[in-house]
Amino acid sequence: MTHEVAWRQAREQLHDVGSTDILVGIPTFNDAKTVEHVVKTAVEGVSRSFPHASVVVVNADAGSQDGTPEAIKQAVGEAIPTVSVQHLAGGMTANPFTLHRLSETGVPGREQAFQAVFTIAAELGSKACVILDANVRSIRAEWMELLLQPVLEKKADLVAPLYCRPRYEGSLTNSVVYPLSRALYGKQLRWQTGGGYGFSGELAGVYLAKDLWGGEAARPWIDSWLATVAVAEGCDVWQASLGAKIQDSKQSGGELAVVLAQTVGAVFHFMEVYQDVWESVGASTPVPMTGPAYEPSTETMPMNIERMIHGFRQGVRDLLPIWEIILSPETLAGVLALGLVEEEEFHFPVSLWVQTVYDCAVAFRAKVLHREHLLKSLAPLYLGRTASFVLETRDGRPEDVEDAVETLCGTFESMKPYLIERWRFQ
Amino acid sequence: MSEMWQQAMVEAFRETTKRVALFLPKLLALLTFILVGLITAQVIRFLVLRILKAVRFDQLCERMSITPALAKAGITKPVSDLVGRLSFWVVFLLFAFMGIDALDLPATAKLMSAIIGVLPHVFAATVLLLFGLLLANFFGEAALIAAVNAQIQEARLIANLIRWGIVIFTVAMVLTQLGIATEIVVAAFSITFGGIVLALAIALGLGGRNIAKDALERRLRQKKPDKDEVSHI
Repeated sequence: MTHEVAWRQAREQLHDVGSTDILVGIPTFNDAKTVEHVVKTAVEGVSRSFPHASVVVVNADAGSQDGTPEAIKQAVGEAIPTVSVQHLAGGMTANPFTLHRLSETGVPGREQAFQAVFTIAAELGSKACVILDANVRSIRAEWMELLLQPVLEKKADLVAPLYCRPRYEGSLTNSVVYPLSRALYGKQLRWQTGGGYGFSGELAGVYLAKDLWGGEAARPWIDSWLATVAVAEGCDVWQASLGAKIQDSKQSGGELAVVLAQTVGAVFHFMEVYQDVWESVGASTPVPMTGPAYEPSTETMPMNIERMIHGFRQGVRDLLPIWEIILSPETLAGVLALGLVEEEEFHFPVSLWVQTVYDCAVAFRAKVLHREHLLKSLAPLYLGRTASFVLETRDGRPEDVEDAVETLCGTFESMKPYLIERWRFQ
Repeated sequence: MSEMWQQAMVEAFRETTKRVALFLPKLLALLTFILVGLITAQVIRFLVLRILKAVRFDQLCERMSITPALAKAGITKPVSDLVGRLSFWVVFLLFAFMGIDALDLPATAKLMSAIIGVLPHVFAATVLLLFGLLLANFFGEAALIAAVNAQIQEARLIANLIRWGIVIFTVAMVLTQLGIATEIVVAAFSITFGGIVLALAIALGLGGRNIAKDALERRLRQKKPDKDEVSHI
């Protein structure tokens, strides 16, 4: 339904536009304050890097009341055709389970916005498509080249962003999503999300053809599965080093347990879908990079370690009956022993953490518990592991943090047989 | 005199023999019903167990949190076994009641119709009880996880209050459905529930006034508790 309505809305505005080389998609919701800068920078970047390419700007708006679509049209000007579709109106509907949550962009029904952009890209036969968040203040004109050139010139299907983030920022990605996905699919992609993505026209078609827009698959937010689906489908995935990401966050994604349930739940869900793919994958390999060499940030965000350990201990005290169902006896014994350790000596071993995540994946598949409960009960364990990670690395150099993440990834990969064995015979 | 005595004896013997002759087939019918009931119930139980095993019913119950909920109530047997036993006793009791009815005793004359009249209520009450227990377990678990993640010290107390609140409410509904002391149950439930709410209100008003004030102030003035500034994703 969404694709038909989106294309109908676009066609009404694109009278004499044939096929296009580049489509710039911008999902918005009340972003008038920031969208002008994003659009102007994007148009400048595309014009500078690809002067001969035909370009269309597509704004998928969720019903802004502050004149966002008009601001975009004004910023683009007359030189480039601009389309504005209302992705939550005129027959396009969002999954009711996903409406309550907003991504960092604050765009309701972000999945439908992406679906609308992909549909228009497919209908226009676009060779490359870039989707940008309307509230990224740190966008630079070079981003367009970094996100689009691999698609247009190197046959890349997805160019995922890689940001230089302060120490410990994105710790959920670094301690679960990245190492687990890397061990599963064998690609050393950092699985960072938001800001901007580059897609090939073919990949847009793959996304549209897959059953990703309804049911169980549509529950996690779209950013959590874009890269996973591309990697699992055997697409050519690249990474673009985009520097810092400064975003006007309307909502930081909600409380930790909800964020964890969304992101980790997405990885676990696609483990079921792509079981045949990941079971046969061996050691991981690097993905091609574009942009300046990645350097870890020297900036550090404050972390309340005491609060994290307190959260972990409370989990040990109160969630034991639930963990008994989820974790294997050996894993549970290891976790319980940590509940007695003093804060200064607190150390959550890497192998125990990997075993915990793998046990949760197996329990998720076996549905031993309501899935949302299972995922949310993982939050205190994650807090314990993060506290331990911070304690281990806080006095070290930025490179030490990267080395610790690399060690974790290595352990996830080396312990993959444990996962496969439990996954098959549970 | 001797003739009269003889006649009385013969008549009494005839009467008793007649009564016994009339009762024996009924007794035989009762015994037959019990025997056939036992065999049929065993066969039904066997079939039910085989079917439940074939459709992986125990695994389904595990997933739906029925098995853990029953385990918490001290029932550790597999749910399929419980259903098998239940089917055995339902079938056996049906046959037994038919046998008792066959005796044609004045005391058991309306037994079957009375039992058949009660059965829908019992069925509805059983479904209600099962649903209520599942709901209590689900919300209790959800509350426990949410409270632990919010680092509320009384997480287990909150979860237990929710779980037992739903259980008590369910039991009251079940008793009402069965028509057992309806007025007393409604009155008892109203008094208990009202009492709890009143006690909580007084406790909060007297003991937790400052905490409630702080919490409201924090909420209304958008004062966030001391949380990490870091983004986890």
